[in-house]
Amino acid sequence: MSRTNIIALLIFGAILGYFLSFGPSATQKFKAGVYQLLAPFLTSGSGLKKQITSVRTGLKSLEQLEHENTELQVENRELRATNQGLRDVEHEVNRLRHALNYRERSVFKLIAAEIVARDSSTWWRTVTINRGKKDGIEIDMPVVTAEGLVGKITTVSDNISVALLVSDENCRVAASVEGSREQGIVSGERVTTGLTPLLDLNFLSKQADLKPGQKVYTSGVGGVFPSGLLIGVVKSFRVRELDGQAQLTPAVDLSHLEDVFVVTGRR
Amino acid sequence: MIFFFLLLFLVLVAQIAELFIPALPWLYNAHVYIVPVIVFYGAMALPFPLMLTLAFYAGVLLDALTVQVIGGKVEISTGSSILLYGVLAGIMHGLRPLFARGHWEVHSILSGIFTSLIVLAQYLMITFRRGSLVFTREIWWQIGGPGIIAMLMAPILFWLLEWIGRMTAYPYGPERGRLE
Repeated sequence: MSRTNIIALLIFGAILGYFLSFGPSATQKFKAGVYQLLAPFLTSGSGLKKQITSVRTGLKSLEQLEHENTELQVENRELRATNQGLRDVEHEVNRLRHALNYRERSVFKLIAAEIVARDSSTWWRTVTINRGKKDGIEIDMPVVTAEGLVGKITTVSDNISVALLVSDENCRVAASVEGSREQGIVSGERVTTGLTPLLDLNFLSKQADLKPGQKVYTSGVGGVFPSGLLIGVVKSFRVRELDGQAQLTPAVDLSHLEDVFVVTGRR
Repeated sequence: MIFFFLLLFLVLVAQIAELFIPALPWLYNAHVYIVPVIVFYGAMALPFPLMLTLAFYAGVLLDALTVQVIGGKVEISTGSSILLYGVLAGIMHGLRPLFARGHWEVHSILSGIFTSLIVLAQYLMITFRRGSLVFTREIWWQIGGPGIIAMLMAPILFWLLEWIGRMTAYPYGPERGRLE
């Protein structure tokens, strides 16, 4: 091996060692930095993809009308999301009124965001959205749609953020089941077997006996997700050796997401 | 040198393109990976120091786009993709004499196998963190699928990159001037 090659190998090894020594916060900064650099390409790439899709499906319209339509659609979705939020709050308030007297809650503050890219790798379920630190987005903020919970923010750069979907095995959400006192932890599956990912609701009691169609909401335990957000609907229930486990169909169609809302707080 | 910078640019474009290519539902949601094929071509066509630089660059991009920090914990160490690309590109570089004689068959097959190895290594690393080593049919397809696609793409991409090399008068390509 020539001297130049040995020097190159040593430099490579030294830089590799430096990267391998990164802790969580250095990794966050590194990820955010690279995403910030890629942000213009990602947003323009998303626009290009939409144009291609639009041409492919033969849906062409006047630019002005399209713009107006998009604005109205976003507004409509925002209103529906707020409405859903109100319904979720109402559900929670009603439950608490009966059990613990009542406690007033307010609706969520929402930031509308568009998905610019999704699932960059095989083993993680993520989406990239076109909102970042400048818009008030922070790590661990919940992401929702009018239909229910989508996931949470894991990486934030100035103009772009990455959200981990609720269908990822690493996204764990404390949940409660409608019409019962059962509580558990929802997480995604490591590998999606069908077209639609399913969620697992673990650590239920063996006597839970959940019925298909029962709704599962965030319980608010843990502090990341506010209570009352719809996660999914029970598909099946089985008793395991130590606990009960339910399979859920996500409330949101995660494979066809276009617009989402980031919950920045409560009003 | 122009060819080297073009490879860097193409790696960036391919890495961004991968974000917009949906997983293939008919292949158990296997993803399409283009970057490894470009890196492995670079491993054969570039001198050792530039090969390492290309592997490092591709590794940094892959790490930045895949490594997740969840709940204050990093699931796969930053730098793991750099190491993977470095080792695999190094092996590919060792087969350069074949490439220099104008052969591409072995490299195409190896590009597929190495692409799957990257996905497998990622899976083993996350499994080590998450526990419960499971290998279902879906998992095997999600590991093997990208390799098969890469293997099929490799001859076309190699031909294209070889053509770019000739257009930029790159002197370090196959000796006979073209891939057979």
